[in-house]
Amino acid sequence: MRKVALVGAGVSKFGVRKATYRDLIWEAGKACFDSVPGVRPKDLDGLVVGSVMPERTAFQSHISSLAAEALGIRPSTLSARTEHMCASGTVGIRYAYAFIAAGLADLVMVLGVEKLNQPQGEEAILNMGTGVDREWEAAFGLTAPPCFALAAQRHMAEYGTTEQHFGLVGVKNHTHASKNPNAHFQKGATLDQVLGSRMIASPLRLFMCSPITDGAAAVIVASEERARALTDRPVWIRGTGQALDGFQLTSLHEDYAHWPALKRAGEAAYRMAGLEPKDVDVAEVHDCFAIAEIIAYEELGFCKKGEGGAFVEAGRSDYGGDVVVNPRGGLMGCGHPLGATGVAQAAEVWAQLRGEAGARQVPDAAVGVTHNNSGMGEHVVMIYGRE
Amino acid sequence: MTLKSFFEGARDGRLTAVRCTACGGLAIPPKEFCPACGKRGWQAAPLSGSGTIASYTVIRVAPRKFAPEAPYALAQVRLAEGVSILGRIVDVPLDRLAIGLAVKFHPLVRGDQTGIAFGPA
Ligand SMILES: [Zn+2]
Repeated sequence: MRKVALVGAGVSKFGVRKATYRDLIWEAGKACFDSVPGVRPKDLDGLVVGSVMPERTAFQSHISSLAAEALGIRPSTLSARTEHMCASGTVGIRYAYAFIAAGLADLVMVLGVEKLNQPQGEEAILNMGTGVDREWEAAFGLTAPPCFALAAQRHMAEYGTTEQHFGLVGVKNHTHASKNPNAHFQKGATLDQVLGSRMIASPLRLFMCSPITDGAAAVIVASEERARALTDRPVWIRGTGQALDGFQLTSLHEDYAHWPALKRAGEAAYRMAGLEPKDVDVAEVHDCFAIAEIIAYEELGFCKKGEGGAFVEAGRSDYGGDVVVNPRGGLMGCGHPLGATGVAQAAEVWAQLRGEAGARQVPDAAVGVTHNNSGMGEHVVMIYGRE
Repeated sequence: MTLKSFFEGARDGRLTAVRCTACGGLAIPPKEFCPACGKRGWQAAPLSGSGTIASYTVIRVAPRKFAPEAPYALAQVRLAEGVSILGRIVDVPLDRLAIGLAVKFHPLVRGDQTGIAFGPA
C-alpha cells in the first residue's frame, strides 16, 4: 500500500449559522484551498462528502456532485457521499485513504458539512432522532442524551466517577474552545457554571453535552508523491481502525460503561501504526457528552479502565499532562455538525502536527489521534504522525 | 415473531423474547438472524417480566411529544432470563431509582400505542 498524507485543511465558523448548506461548503472549501497554495480545485481527482441529513435540513440530496460543482472540482477517480451518522466525516477520510493507498486516486478532498439548526428548534431535535432505531428506540422518545446518560450512571456506580469529573471535562473543553475562533462557544466555563447548568438527562447537564451546530470542514488527502511535491510538512495517516458492536442499544455490550468496539478500533489503529497509547501527544475524541470523553481515555489506553474520572481531575488530559485531549474545544465547545465533526478533528490534528495551531498549540506534537463515534457501539479511530 | 405480535402480547402484559432453535440463544427485541450463531429459526419464548435496573436516567428535557411527562425515568433492565431491554420506569419515585432495583414489566398503553415500561416488582 502507498503512504497517504493530509496536505491541507480548513474549517468554517461553527455555530448557529444563517449560512446556507452551500455557503458552508464554500466556506470550508475555501479555507482548505487557502491552506495549501499549490492545489487548485481542478488538481483534485476525487471528492468525498460526509453529510448526514441534508435531505431533511436543506431539502437536498446528490451531495457529492453539488459540492464538486460548488468548489470547481471535476472528480475523475472518486466521487462519493458518506453517511454514518456522527462518524460520517471520518468514514469519508477512510474512503479517501483506501483509494489513495490502493493507487486508485492521488489527490482527494474530504469535506464534511451539516446544516442542523432549523427555524423551529423542535425540528432539529426530531431530525437528530433519525439516528436511533425508529421502531424500537425513537418511538419511545429515546434521543442521544439518555443513551449516554445510561453509560454515565453505570460508570459512576462501577468506578466511583462523579458529576464533578463530568463537569471538569466540560470546563476543559469549553476553556480550549475559547482559544478557537471557529468554535460555537468561546466564552469558556467555570466548574460552578457547568455543575449549575440545567439537568438534561441525569447525570448529564447542559454544559456536559454538545450543542446543535451548523458547520463544515475539509481536508486534502494525498499520495506520498503528491504530498512531497505540495508541502514540506505532510501529516501522514499512520493507522486506522473501525469497529461496530451493534446499532440498537440492546444489541450492545451488557454494561454501557464499557465500549469494546472503541477498544478494538483503537487497537487496530495502534497496531497498524506501530505505536502505543503513550506515544500520543494530542487526541481529538468524540466528546458528544462528557462521559464519552472519559470512556475514550480508557478504551484508547490513555489510562486504565475505570480511571477516566481521575485522569481528567489530575489534569492528565490537558496541556502539561500525558496527552492533550480536544485542544480545539471538542464537540462540547465547537459544536457537533455531524458530518463535519470528524473532518474538523482531522483538521485540528493536521494543524497541531505542523505546529500551526497558534494559541492552542500542543508543544512539539508529533503523534495525533482522532476518535469519532456514531453511537456507543460504533467507533472509528485514526492515527496521524509527522515525518 | 413480528413487531405487531410482540406489541400485541406486550399490550396484554406478556413480554416475549425469541429463542434460537439452533443454539438456544435468547434475543429481545425479536431479530431475523441469531446474533450468537447466525441461523434463522426462532420460537417465541415468554419471559417472566421480572428484572433489575442495570442503569437508568431521569429525563428532564424531553422531545416535545414527551415534554408534558418530564421528568420521567428510562432504564436498561436486565431481565431474569439474562437478556436486557430499555423501558420507561413507572410508579417508582424518582429518588428511589437505583442500579439493582427489582422491577416488573408493565405495558404502557396509550390509545393504539403500546410502550415497554417497568414498575415496582
Ligand atoms: Zn442461534
